[in-house]
Amino acid sequence: MREPPYQTVLKPYGAALVDVARQRPEIICLGADLTRQTETDLFRDTIPDRFINIGMAEANMLSIAGGLARAGHTVFVNTFGVFSTRRCFDQIAMSVAYPNLNVKIVGFMPGLSSPGGPSHQAIEDVALMRALPNVTVVEPADAIETTQVVAATAQHPGPVYLRLKRGEIPLIFDDDHRLDLGKAQILVGGGTADVCIVASGMMIPAALAAARTLAEHGVLATVVNVPVIKPFDAATVTAAARHCRLVISAENHTVVGGLGSAVAEAMAEAGVAAPLRRIGIADTFAEAGSREYLFAKYGLNTQSIVDAVWRGLAINRPVPAAPIIETSPGAYAPV
Amino acid sequence: MRSTDMVAIQGFGYLGQALSSAEIFAVLFGGAMRYGIDRFVLSPGHYVISLYAAAAETGLLDPAELESYGHDGSVLEAIGSERTPLGDLVCGSLGQGLSGAVGFALAAQLAGEDRDTFAFLSDGEMQEGQVWEAAMFAGYRRLDRLIVVIDANNSQVDGPVTSVTTIEPLAEKWRSFGWHVSEVDGHDVEALWQAFAAGRGGGAPLVVIARTEILGRLNAIPPTVDGHFIKIDSELKAAILKELGAALA
Repeated sequence: MREPPYQTVLKPYGAALVDVARQRPEIICLGADLTRQTETDLFRDTIPDRFINIGMAEANMLSIAGGLARAGHTVFVNTFGVFSTRRCFDQIAMSVAYPNLNVKIVGFMPGLSSPGGPSHQAIEDVALMRALPNVTVVEPADAIETTQVVAATAQHPGPVYLRLKRGEIPLIFDDDHRLDLGKAQILVGGGTADVCIVASGMMIPAALAAARTLAEHGVLATVVNVPVIKPFDAATVTAAARHCRLVISAENHTVVGGLGSAVAEAMAEAGVAAPLRRIGIADTFAEAGSREYLFAKYGLNTQSIVDAVWRGLAINRPVPAAPIIETSPGAYAPV
Repeated sequence: MRSTDMVAIQGFGYLGQALSSAEIFAVLFGGAMRYGIDRFVLSPGHYVISLYAAAAETGLLDPAELESYGHDGSVLEAIGSERTPLGDLVCGSLGQGLSGAVGFALAAQLAGEDRDTFAFLSDGEMQEGQVWEAAMFAGYRRLDRLIVVIDANNSQVDGPVTSVTTIEPLAEKWRSFGWHVSEVDGHDVEALWQAFAAGRGGGAPLVVIARTEILGRLNAIPPTVDGHFIKIDSELKAAILKELGAALA
């Protein structure tokens, strides 16, 4: 793994989708009036005959995707996560998930990564998509995984919900890192430790930073990356959790129904007795604001994880201050 | 008549839909549509009883299988589903079928295939906004190999459509969305034939608005029954079959 401050890559999804579509003529790219915002302007400009703008009609888009997929296409459906999951849940269930079609729903602006307030913040998309049979739910953590996940998603038979941050994406993993749609990955530790931190997506940098701060203060942490939230790799997670006194889940999502719930279900079924603390949005709608502000206010930053470990392990020393994660500033507008 | 038999075995079912759409299915499956080449979308899955009957009449389904309509374990479910062994897309949740048909029409257009996409819709589901999203898009994309037929029987669960809201003027609505519109008596076989044959192409999709009655034009069924989901006994079955038999003779 690389060390912070992380370099960033601009629009890795948009570039990867064009690369994969060039290899796979069956791929169709659908959008709903958010072409540049979903990084599909590159697709529109390079493969225009397979790019279709449906307009602001997400329900129509999901059912059209179902028709195209029945005719043999692999369809990437692009819009913000709030619109592709909340707005057309029945269309996903009946037009895509139930018939188990090759429709890949790409939902941008996960959790509190959008400054647009609750109308634009997908805080329960993972819970919704995880509840649907046949749907694979994936949230990559960095640019290396984002690039790989596009090819893996195109190749995977059946519906996929791909939860993506857009724009500048950090480079966390090394070039030889391999994303597997069936596996969680131990990033740090893995043996006997004080705490097991299970995280996904944008919470991975915070989980890694928290592990470093904890180590500096004598607390040993395992960090597990869960890019595939469904099907959930319970074996890897419970094997790591079993050797720890405390388990922390960390997700940029409500604590109801997402990664934390998946961890809780897996631990309970495997008989892992350690207490679980869920870091995430505490069953509340948020507000407009910058990512840094919202992650701090709603308890999603590195300090939130360190605090939860300190309380969970009942450590009788002052809580260490976690460093602010630095990323290189860029010009890409986040809205 | 086959639908009456299917419903009579269980004593209930979607016979009203079968009676209002019998002529439409007869014309589609009697040659207006090239089944197996053209694609067929059934949007309101409650009409699947008509699909079963038409398929049995045209050799696509063993007539003996009709006896299993609506029974536990049967693939001939009372509301269409992914288990339905007929058609290219049979929906259950109203309002989604036209979008699926647009997907088929786009796929055929992209591939340069010589095939039409037929979508059967009901008038009640016009209340779902998604129908109009799809109609607007199909008109804009000039999908002239897409043909919609609407069973306009003025019936929905809570009663006549006109007692719930208004979907009229249907013809003017579709025309304003860029469609060719043909409005016919949906129990007139000859008029239906002509509607499907005329008004095709030219960069606009075609909608055939078939004006029908939920119970067909049968006198045997008392006007007080719930047309959406009919319960019949052996006496009523006999009366319906007698009247249908006389009409076909």
